[in-house]
Amino acid sequence: MALANPMRPYPGRLVGVRDLATGIKLFQVELLEPEGQAAFAAYKPGQFAFVSAFGAGEAPFGITSTSRRGRLLEFAVNALGHVTFSLHSLDVGDPVGVRGPLGNWFPMDQLQGKNIVILGGGIGGAPLRPVIHTILDHREDYGHLTILWAARSPDLLVFTEEFDEWRSAWATELHVTVDQAGPGWTGHVGLITQLLEKVAPSPENAVAITCGPPIMIHFVFLTLKKLGFAPEQMLTTLEARMHCGIGKCGRCNLGEKFICKDGPVFWQYEIARFLEGFL
Amino acid sequence: MTRYANAETLRQWLDRLAQEADLIAPRDVEGHVLYRPIRSGAEVLLEYERPELSAKEFLFPSTEVILRIEQRGKEVALEEVLPDRRQVVFGLRPCDAHGLAAIDALFLNQDPTDAYYRHRRERTTLVGIACTQMWDGCFCTSMGGGPADPTHLDVLIRAAEDGVYILQPVTPKGVAVLEGLPPVEVRGEPRPVEEYNPPVPVMPTEKWRTLFDNQRLWMRHGERCLSCRICTYVCPTCRCYDVVDRVVDVRPGRVLTERIRVWDACTSPNYRRVAGGHNPRPTNWERLRNRFMCKFCYYPEDFGPLGCVGCGRCIVACPVEIDITEVMEDAARV
Repeated sequence: MALANPMRPYPGRLVGVRDLATGIKLFQVELLEPEGQAAFAAYKPGQFAFVSAFGAGEAPFGITSTSRRGRLLEFAVNALGHVTFSLHSLDVGDPVGVRGPLGNWFPMDQLQGKNIVILGGGIGGAPLRPVIHTILDHREDYGHLTILWAARSPDLLVFTEEFDEWRSAWATELHVTVDQAGPGWTGHVGLITQLLEKVAPSPENAVAITCGPPIMIHFVFLTLKKLGFAPEQMLTTLEARMHCGIGKCGRCNLGEKFICKDGPVFWQYEIARFLEGFL
Repeated sequence: MTRYANAETLRQWLDRLAQEADLIAPRDVEGHVLYRPIRSGAEVLLEYERPELSAKEFLFPSTEVILRIEQRGKEVALEEVLPDRRQVVFGLRPCDAHGLAAIDALFLNQDPTDAYYRHRRERTTLVGIACTQMWDGCFCTSMGGGPADPTHLDVLIRAAEDGVYILQPVTPKGVAVLEGLPPVEVRGEPRPVEEYNPPVPVMPTEKWRTLFDNQRLWMRHGERCLSCRICTYVCPTCRCYDVVDRVVDVRPGRVLTERIRVWDACTSPNYRRVAGGHNPRPTNWERLRNRFMCKFCYYPEDFGPLGCVGCGRCIVACPVEIDITEVMEDAARV
């Protein structure tokens, strides 16, 4: 019997492309074959996948959609390197490949009944969006939801068109900040850690989940600690350059751990125990 | 059952093997001993030092096409390129077989298996020749191996006196490959190993764990590292890889791309750098620390075997004389 080859992508097609922020696009991918559709039938919030721009290569992206909200896979892609620039040059109808779903996921069952604090920085908000959607779609299963959403500047805020939905949900608050204001910006200006100190969510029965640049994650953890959050009340998801997603290629190791296979979702205390840091 | 041969019958057997399968064997390449594809038994070296490169490239090629991608307009056809040739690696040194066993632990024995490596590994027979001595840098005896260790081979060949060779099958594959060996009347006893190198201390993984933050140790050895990556290139267990697309043919309405996998090295400056520019392992000594910690701590903890078999090639190859055994001795002293 031939074993499946985990390096072979499932064929897919772009069915939607739209600008999410400056330099960031949202891609909607339809998987074309039953094998791929079955593999992605029940992917979890926090998992990632490799997306191929054929001829340029493949790169890993957190899946920013949920399987509950539809069969299309969504990826937020910032044009920064060879593969991501190539993806940005694609249009609706163009073929892509998808490998996954890969990695672990946010323990949504374990988070039920808790107050949740979400802290997203820039495109780091993308892998947190499935958590927000899962909570909003099962609103009664979770406690209070506090979303802190940040970017370097207003034009880099992602998923702004969903802000109204988030704000209007039951027991849900949204706080937005930018490091530097732009023309017409009337909202909060300052780092997400400053906003976090102002909002000061209670650590009582709460779990905070953050993603952003490594330096932001580091300081968000420190600020949460100041507010009384314990290591087992802080979650994050990490990224790294990687080439396999299955713990073989060696690229994404943090000491003895692989971000692809042992993560990408980690509790703060797990990261603190690693020999090597993520900074 | 143990078999015997002389140089003539050995070469006759190799001639036959070269017709039945891809035959890899030690050969003189402009003064360098290397494992290379062989067409006839006459090309094969029967007495040779440790080859300058390991044989891992024949199971895990330095560049390997893993997928052919044909685009016609908006349509894409993917073809997996899985090797299906049978191959015999002859004259493999026991340390190189040991190195493959270390790679097996990750590529074969950890789910999911690596399809490309598995295809090659299943179709490969390893016929080793015992070393008559330990050479410059060799420390296999400290790493659980030895000059005449049959453990990871299918057949072990040992030289006896008067040009006689003793062939010991180790696995059913080894028994099968020996079926074609012409019978001879000669017999003999294996020649003892002439020279052993002094042992090197091997610390347990827990000890290495405590050394991670010993910046002095890592800077002492790593600060002069040129990040040239030769250590990982010659290493029989280093297995990190990169995957890239290479457009190989463009015609009207049709683009042909090969997705290739290539060896990578954690000692490379850009190994951990991400597209945004962040590099969590920015210095040469941190990268060298990762290499040694992988070999003696992470790899055994994650996958079982140590990531070093004591072949000594990295010691000989390093342009700035970074010596893995010196690091091991320092680790034992701290």
